[in-house]
Amino acid sequence: MSTRFRPLPRGRSTARAISIWLIALLVALVATVQIRSQAEVERSLVGIDTTSLAFLIDDLHRANDTLQSETADLQARRATLQSGTSGAADQVLTDEANRLRAIEGLAPVHGPGVVIVIDATGLTALDLQDAINNLAAGGAEATSVNGHRVVTGVAIEQTASGVAIDGVVVSSPWTITTIGDAIRLGEVANLMTQALTADRRVHAATYRVEADVEIRSVVSARPFVYAVGS
Amino acid sequence: MYRRQLLSIGAVAAVALVMGYLVAGQVKAQLLTPSNQVARYQALVRSVQDLEAANAQSRRQIATLRAEINALETDAAGRSAATQALQNQVADLRAHAGLTALHGPGVAVDLANGVPAPAAGGQASYLVNFQDVQDIVNLLFAQGAEGIAVNGRRITPLTAYSGSAGQVVIDQGPPLSSPIHVVAVGDRNRMVAALDDASALPGIRARQVQFQLHLTFVGSPDVALPAYDSSLQIPHVHAI
Repeated sequence: MSTRFRPLPRGRSTARAISIWLIALLVALVATVQIRSQAEVERSLVGIDTTSLAFLIDDLHRANDTLQSETADLQARRATLQSGTSGAADQVLTDEANRLRAIEGLAPVHGPGVVIVIDATGLTALDLQDAINNLAAGGAEATSVNGHRVVTGVAIEQTASGVAIDGVVVSSPWTITTIGDAIRLGEVANLMTQALTADRRVHAATYRVEADVEIRSVVSARPFVYAVGS
Repeated sequence: MYRRQLLSIGAVAAVALVMGYLVAGQVKAQLLTPSNQVARYQALVRSVQDLEAANAQSRRQIATLRAEINALETDAAGRSAATQALQNQVADLRAHAGLTALHGPGVAVDLANGVPAPAAGGQASYLVNFQDVQDIVNLLFAQGAEGIAVNGRRITPLTAYSGSAGQVVIDQGPPLSSPIHVVAVGDRNRMVAALDDASALPGIRARQVQFQLHLTFVGSPDVALPAYDSSLQIPHVHAI
């Protein structure tokens, strides 16, 4: 009896071909999904990691709350002006002038805050700028260093004699007095003094939270020479 | 013969079944983790986008309210000389606080990310960070700038900088990233000379060499600054 190859019936051969194509298609689909999902993860994580995103969300929440508060304050001011009562505009303008003088460092102020004392050798203007910025980011609303009022725009520079604020050298120890949310500023001051204590240049860094601190120093008003209102 | 055929088919089917389970398990394990990561990441990104949209809306509202208040104050000033004098004082204070748009001679500074250096490993030093922006702004103020804006965000006496690698957050604004464009109105020659000084901005200059961080600047006879559009509240400060 001969054992010749006997071809499969036509129907069975077609079914097998379809099965093979289906399996190939499934494998290709799974591979594509896998590769794309990996690529998506890699692409999306290029910019910023999830931890940073979480911090960003926290910062944006706080920022939006502050903006909402400002909006409410402005709406109240507008309502007062719209009331048209006698002296309403004068009162709004006087309050605004006093507030702006405090913001620009033109008026002595007081309020809750923290006092940080840093005794160090070799700290630079950049170190002081960073410290003041850390406090500003932590909610400082008024700041002075060794009795010199500091706002953004006041020059803190490195000179041959040391760090100078608005041209006046401030020697160690630096006493940074700042007014703002005392709890938040206390947390910032705690982290700052811990970091400073680990710095070899720093002999001591301490802070105290106070219910009321005074900042009597002011900056000099500087009229514009170059800038013109648009 | 028929029994052996059945046995071999059964064995192949059993092996195929086990293989199927193994492959399915492997595929599931590999697919699910990235999918969850993507979903979690996308949820965070959506939150950021929503918050940024709310942030922009609030800042637009604040700008509108300030314009309305200014118009009402001007109306009132038209009816009284004392109110007019007060309004002039406030206008000057607002200009110095960054609450009004300014223009004048000045400089424009551009700062952009460099390229990662293989030797630096995972360090993000090639990215522009908030301290770079802080250093440039401080340098310009020290050299006579009367007003500064960063990517259209006006710097005020209360401005604070923060952010993680590659992100620059200024006050209550959304995060900025490279390229950063700083515009300052003031003594343009003094500011250009300071930016040209090789000893200024040491951190940025070192990273220009190591990571090809981009820093360019140009003086201009007239640059414009927008008004500040965020909060300037000082709830804890009281006049003595």
